Amino acid sequence: MALTSPDLQALEEQVPRDIARTVTRGDRIFRTLCASAAAVSLFIIGGTALFLAIKAVPALQKAGLLSFFTTSVWNPTVGDFGVLGLLIGTIIIATVSLIVAVPLAIGLALFINEYSPARIRRVLTSSVDLLAAMPSIIFGMWGFFALQAPLVGVASWLNLHLSAIPFFRLSEPDAPLLRSSFIVGTVVALMIVPIITSVSRDVMAQCPRSQCEAALALGGSRWGMIKEVLLPFGKAGITGAVLLGFGRALGETIAVALIIAFTIEANPYVLEQGGGSIASLIAIKFPEAQDLEISALIAAGLALFSMTLLVNLGARAIVRRTQIAA
Amino acid sequence: MTTVQSPQTAETPAANRQVVSSEILPEELHPSSRIDATDVTCWFGKRKVLERCTLSMEPGEVTALIGPSGCGKSTFLRSLNRMHELVPVAAIAGTIELDGVDIYSEEMSPTEVRSRIGMVFQKPNPFPAMSIADNVLAGLSLSGMSNEDPKALVEQCLRRAGLWAEVSDRLNEGGMSLSGGQQQRLCIARALAVHPDVLLMDEPCSALDPISTRVIEQTIRELCEEITIVIVTHNMQQAQRVSDKCAFFLVESIGDPGRIVEAGPTTQVFENPSDPRTYDYVTGQFG
Repeated sequence: MALTSPDLQALEEQVPRDIARTVTRGDRIFRTLCASAAAVSLFIIGGTALFLAIKAVPALQKAGLLSFFTTSVWNPTVGDFGVLGLLIGTIIIATVSLIVAVPLAIGLALFINEYSPARIRRVLTSSVDLLAAMPSIIFGMWGFFALQAPLVGVASWLNLHLSAIPFFRLSEPDAPLLRSSFIVGTVVALMIVPIITSVSRDVMAQCPRSQCEAALALGGSRWGMIKEVLLPFGKAGITGAVLLGFGRALGETIAVALIIAFTIEANPYVLEQGGGSIASLIAIKFPEAQDLEISALIAAGLALFSMTLLVNLGARAIVRRTQIAA
Repeated sequence: MTTVQSPQTAETPAANRQVVSSEILPEELHPSSRIDATDVTCWFGKRKVLERCTLSMEPGEVTALIGPSGCGKSTFLRSLNRMHELVPVAAIAGTIELDGVDIYSEEMSPTEVRSRIGMVFQKPNPFPAMSIADNVLAGLSLSGMSNEDPKALVEQCLRRAGLWAEVSDRLNEGGMSLSGGQQQRLCIARALAVHPDVLLMDEPCSALDPISTRVIEQTIRELCEEITIVIVTHNMQQAQRVSDKCAFFLVESIGDPGRIVEAGPTTQVFENPSDPRTYDYVTGQFG
């Protein structure tokens, strides 16, 4: 009789019941502590945005919201401000640094993971970590005094041989090549190599051994294995790493301020002297700024803040989408 | 096509395949390659896991490597196509000859060795980001080979692996959408696409259900007409069903390296073994 199924029609439709969730005191306290830590981070982001927005209002009112983002001027005496050139400059420098850093970082990550003998691997891993710990002012000074001369050589070589590409042209044949966006971008590249290297290294180390062995057992070379298995596997993570590096490059301040020959106008001649970024504007102008100029600098800061926020959100979206696809 | 096949229906695809092969790749009908392992000893770091193993794997035959866990069967198998050395601390002594050429000598590169001696692993490992067709062709792009008619190659390899009928209408779907047994046959098809002379199989059915196992065993029997096959198996019934020759590996006492106790025709090893330890193992006294 037990096997007879009940007459379902006669029964009432079931709804999910309540489940008692008794929480111990210790758990409650710990949960509150964790929740407050989480609240602090939200508060900091929100508070910063709010502070920047409020303090930026006077300058934005005076200069006009539209012209603040569409012109390139910096005239505190008449209250005329515009950061278009610096926004472009920021992107130029960050892009140059990515172009230099990404191949370097991925090559380094692959060498450490796939090619280096165990002893060299340890040395390399810790030196990459040390590189990440180096203060940016040190990079800036080293870049200014030691790296400029050789990079000027590279710049003139690029101009001589690759001037078919618009980025490698000069405004005039004898234009000075020191203190350029190219040099700054290269120095910034060295600062973002560690983060890109260590994130992509971690990602590729997650690739199942069985996948790599399958590739090698098919007669694949190590490069074939990297190309067909490791890189496709790590695609999403590497993209995330690159965008993390991009975010850092956008905000890098001291090294840029130290090296670049600062101009408000965007300088499309990447190899040539002169350029700028939002962060370096703030670093250079802040010590002497007063009243309205401070508000204008804060408005510039708000622009930078929004830009990095967007890049990071975009990075997350891309990473999530590629993860689903994989 | 159903996965369960009676012996009669199993004959038909085999006959078809031979026609296909003779049209496309006539040279494959001659099973030509043999492997001779002589005094092979393997280490991981200081630990010797295999000692002085000598075994000939004849052309067109299935050789089964049997024995309890941890006796060095897989290590021996992986030394046959230079996968052993991928472990950083691994070392090897002795010689392994493919048709008389030492595969560890300068005469052959590891990539050449591995494309001539293919491998199927214990756990099915198709490339997750690739479609079924791309999985079959993966070996070509990996080793820089080219093929004028990749479509025909995909079909031919999937047919030989006994998977064509099940996947012919969804070649562009991901390889991970298949069942475990289908994935393993996809891996066999992938290994066949680079035209190996020898196929090594490391417990290819241990992760599969009995029906999938049966299909793969059928595939093995069909393939061995053209390819020399070496298979590691824990399953003694399987060894009896698929192999022509058998080698029994054993670790005498804990800490000793594995050795080959006895090797010979499968029927002899199972029905009339010359060594009492083999007798104990094949009759289920231990292991």
